[in-house]
Amino acid sequence: MDPVLAPPAAIPLLSLDRVTIRFGGLTAVNSVDLTVGEGERVGLIGPNGAGKTTVFNLITGVYAPTNGIIRFRGQGLAGLRVDQIVARGIARTFQNIRLFAHLSVFDNVRVACNLHRGTNAAQTLVRLSAFRAEEAAIARRVDSLLEIFNLGRFRDAAACSLPYGEQRRLEIVRALATQPKLLLLDEPAAGMNAAEKIELVRLIQQIQRQFQLSILLVEHSMKVVMGVCQRIIVLDYGLKIAAGSPAAIQSDPKVIEAYLGEDHQKNVAHH
Amino acid sequence: MDRTLGGSFRFAPHLALLGALLASGLIGVCSPWIDPYYLDVMKTVGINVILAVSLNLVNGYTGQFSLGHAGFMAVGAYLSAAFTLFVAPHWLGPLGGGPFGQGLLFLTALLGGGLCAALAGLVVGVPSLRLKGDYLALVTLGFGEIIRVIFQNVDFLGGALGLNGIPAYTTIFWVLAFAAVTIFVVVCLVHSTYGRGFLATHDDEIAAEAIGLNTTHYKIVAFVVGAFFAGIAGGLYGHFKQTIAPVGFNFTKSIEIVVMVILGGMGNTPGVVLAAILLTLLPEVLRPVAEYRMILYSFLLIVLMIARPQGLFNFSYRRRKSA
Repeated sequence: MDPVLAPPAAIPLLSLDRVTIRFGGLTAVNSVDLTVGEGERVGLIGPNGAGKTTVFNLITGVYAPTNGIIRFRGQGLAGLRVDQIVARGIARTFQNIRLFAHLSVFDNVRVACNLHRGTNAAQTLVRLSAFRAEEAAIARRVDSLLEIFNLGRFRDAAACSLPYGEQRRLEIVRALATQPKLLLLDEPAAGMNAAEKIELVRLIQQIQRQFQLSILLVEHSMKVVMGVCQRIIVLDYGLKIAAGSPAAIQSDPKVIEAYLGEDHQKNVAHH
Repeated sequence: MDRTLGGSFRFAPHLALLGALLASGLIGVCSPWIDPYYLDVMKTVGINVILAVSLNLVNGYTGQFSLGHAGFMAVGAYLSAAFTLFVAPHWLGPLGGGPFGQGLLFLTALLGGGLCAALAGLVVGVPSLRLKGDYLALVTLGFGEIIRVIFQNVDFLGGALGLNGIPAYTTIFWVLAFAAVTIFVVVCLVHSTYGRGFLATHDDEIAAEAIGLNTTHYKIVAFVVGAFFAGIAGGLYGHFKQTIAPVGFNFTKSIEIVVMVILGGMGNTPGVVLAAILLTLLPEVLRPVAEYRMILYSFLLIVLMIARPQGLFNFSYRRRKSA
């Protein structure tokens, strides 16, 4: 983006302004306000069906909001296609991993480099030095990304042949290859054991530092959410019921009732 | 593993193309000494290779099941034939011009036919590529038939009888050269960062969009490039058979090409080339058994499909599993 046009720091990276979406009679997301600042790590939690993934689908342009405005770097995203929103700098992973199963690990990441490709389709046929140089640069970039995330040894294996944890990691690497400013992670810890979750927290923190991006995390594992996020937003039945620091959220009675359940309340009483 | 596909770009497609074109030229020069029957079989093989490899870009690599390839072939066949029949005499004069003039004219006719087919591909593709799977197959089938029926009803182009007396410009050189170009274009397109987008669109459209690929763009490019080469193949076919009729470009022809793609292994260019060769030669080899020929052909097809559902020459599945 043109530096002159870059919004002043006061404007948050992402802002949802009273965003609502209705599917027939169901209001999946109801007048939700949400902001993510530059370099911030924000958690989005709530019970199943609270509308967390729907919020992701609204931000990434899969759904258009019935009401409200979504802005990224101060500009409205209404009317943009999914791929155009990715080009603006929002990348995501999926709750149920969506890799290109029959492509190699290398190609899964390589294909995500298309967004910042300078050469066009016709140059693919002519293959002059500019094209070859760019392809080589992309290959180097992909290889270095794979090395950073310890996936280099799987480079030429089909993505579907990878162990589950590595598939999750590959999906994050693929999202990073689009050079996002904001990374949306949809339940990255699903199906992971305690040790893997600790590793994941470390990984997310490393990504945020190294790639200087903001993170919006949907996650059920409190351990991961508390470990990663500086700020947490709680949804229930499409409504934002609380927002604040991890400590404040943990002790908010509304959150405990809606999300953590009565058992937790008993536990809290015990302690 | 296959590092050339991985990104260390050591393979030299232009050298391969140059070699293939030189080989085509050499075979062209030697053609007077080759048995005309074999020459005709080779031409049919080459035309089918062009058709199958170009359809493979759509059905195989991009995963958009099209059943309308014969329709685009018809566009190329009719328009290039009309060009050489009606425009060429004004250009070359009554004597028919020299071999160089004829060659230039034929190339113009072929490229013109291919471009018109590509345009038809764009017109058909933009609305129908919104659909997926079975629906896309049905719509492309419908469009293919519409194109054929249009030609059947244009009196200027011979109606149901088609066009006759098309000059026999299709030499073995042109067929092999264009087969090489088709393979070159498809391989170069697919083996690039850009081209991996075709495969990504095939594998998971939602994920492809989520990494910033415009999947509509990829589908339409595949469709238009596929239609272009179908048009070229049609032009070669018309100037080879010297007569074309709408019935030659019906649904059965589309199916024939689809079978080559499936048998070769969707998205596997060498496999599809071999399948096109094999399926063209098979009916020829089976000629001695006369009337049982097509029964045996169909039977072998069924056996092959059962024995190798992933494609006759597709070994990548096993290789990937072991990787």
